Amino acid sequence: MTTTASVVAFDQVSKAYDAVRAVDGLSLDLRPGETVALLGPNGAGKSTTLDLLLGLKNPDSGTVRLFGTSPRDAIVAGRVGAMLQSGGLMDEVTVAELVRLACDLHPKSYRPSEVLSRAGIAQIADRKVNKLSGGQAQRVRFALATAGDSDLIILDEPTTGMDVTTRQAFWATMREQADQGRTVLFATHYLEEADAIADRVLVLHRGRLLADGTAAEIKAKAGARRVSFDVEGTVDEPALRALPFLTGIDISGRTVRIQSSDADATVHALYGLGVYPRNLEVAGLGLEQAFVAITTAEEAKSK
Amino acid sequence: MNSLIKLELTRALRNRKFLFFSVIYPSVLFLIIAGNADSTTKVPGSDLTLPTYMMVSMASFGALTAVLMGNSERIAKEREGGWVRQLRLTTLPGRGYVLAKTASAAVVSLPSIVIVFAVAAAVKDVRLAAWQWLALTGAIWAGSLVFAALGVALGYLASGDAVRPITMITYFGLSMLGGLWMPTTTFPGWLQDIAKWLPTHAYAALGQAIEQSRAPHVQDLAVLAVSFVLFAGGAAWLYRKDTLKA
Repeated sequence: MTTTASVVAFDQVSKAYDAVRAVDGLSLDLRPGETVALLGPNGAGKSTTLDLLLGLKNPDSGTVRLFGTSPRDAIVAGRVGAMLQSGGLMDEVTVAELVRLACDLHPKSYRPSEVLSRAGIAQIADRKVNKLSGGQAQRVRFALATAGDSDLIILDEPTTGMDVTTRQAFWATMREQADQGRTVLFATHYLEEADAIADRVLVLHRGRLLADGTAAEIKAKAGARRVSFDVEGTVDEPALRALPFLTGIDISGRTVRIQSSDADATVHALYGLGVYPRNLEVAGLGLEQAFVAITTAEEAKSK
Repeated sequence: MNSLIKLELTRALRNRKFLFFSVIYPSVLFLIIAGNADSTTKVPGSDLTLPTYMMVSMASFGALTAVLMGNSERIAKEREGGWVRQLRLTTLPGRGYVLAKTASAAVVSLPSIVIVFAVAAAVKDVRLAAWQWLALTGAIWAGSLVFAALGVALGYLASGDAVRPITMITYFGLSMLGGLWMPTTTFPGWLQDIAKWLPTHAYAALGQAIEQSRAPHVQDLAVLAVSFVLFAGGAAWLYRKDTLKA
């Protein structure tokens, strides 16, 4: 995998605001056709990362390359379509007029009517942009990002303000984009979206990359499974804490919840302690819990 | 970029309030001020009649309104709202946004100049040679670029709630003190000394020189040129600062 084959290449990129390091020595490499989710708590540096990627901000150090060129050159070549989180729209013009503008400005543009119907906004084409609901405005932004045949689509929190049905319809549209061989990078708060849609998940925390892998790998990294049970009689806390493969434990009253990287071995050892667990449950960890586990572990380390 | 100019223009023409204040209002104001003046009395300190004098003042005022009022507030809002950022993700060159705004304002300012002339000629019998009409239109239209640059600078300087009052103060201050609403010769001496250094005063003086078929004063041309360099330079500097920060 050479650098020129990368769609996006960050090399030791840093960006600070005053004393805060928003992005801290970030290196990453996106390959053609990947659908990548960028996860992170608020203030993790997601938006700054996307701004750097799109050339809206310049890094303090390190380099950002898109398709082997500068972000601006890639945009001018029509290879990038982007939807910003609170990307303002032009007021007092209609949806159709705005989409036509986006098509006019894209070197490899589609027909405006196609763009409108693909984004699901054909029926509101004549409405004024400033009269739209939050979800409708998001679809207009999506239309602007997909006005032409771009190779890379960037979406910053694309489903904010959408209800569940619209969100599902939106991701169906998005999948079509990915199925056509485009690289898609999206930042999101909704972990189930990352779990269901991305083939690669990047976890960002304090401007650094904490994890990079498939959703399954991220879950494994956090301690893949959750074991919970009730204890009869007294709870021998030190013994429980000493169980093998344990990555986290929470004891409340007689109920014990354990996170384990090898649940089978942990449960086996539990019986070895002479404890008889009641209501034993072993379940996979959701991406959300994995995410919380990874970021809190990092938080604890940095303190 | 032409498509953005077209869309900016569509939007400006759709905004009735803006059209009223930049296109109709100066003519109305002209009729109110010059309406009762007889067509022979000369403006003190000038050999022009009041209607002839005020025609240039109001045409200049209309052009000033068209290029200053719409843009500064829009730019400030669109900068904050993120539309400017969104445009930076298109092939549109960086300056394209500002140029499109200026170009569309220039299209609106032309009718506001011509309508004042038409009203003055029809209602108050203002008569000039053909070359004078053409030269007046050209000079006032071209001169409005100075204030278009000021509008852009204000749009990048102020933000949020501050932009409207700042624009208003600048707009009314320049209009009144520059003598667009009444001849500066009616001002007390000390105020006249200030007024003659204002770009709006120089702007109207340019038109009045054409009406008197004489060459404009070097001082007026210098004031306009220096103002343009200051405003355009300030706009460019603020634009660059904003781009790095955004």
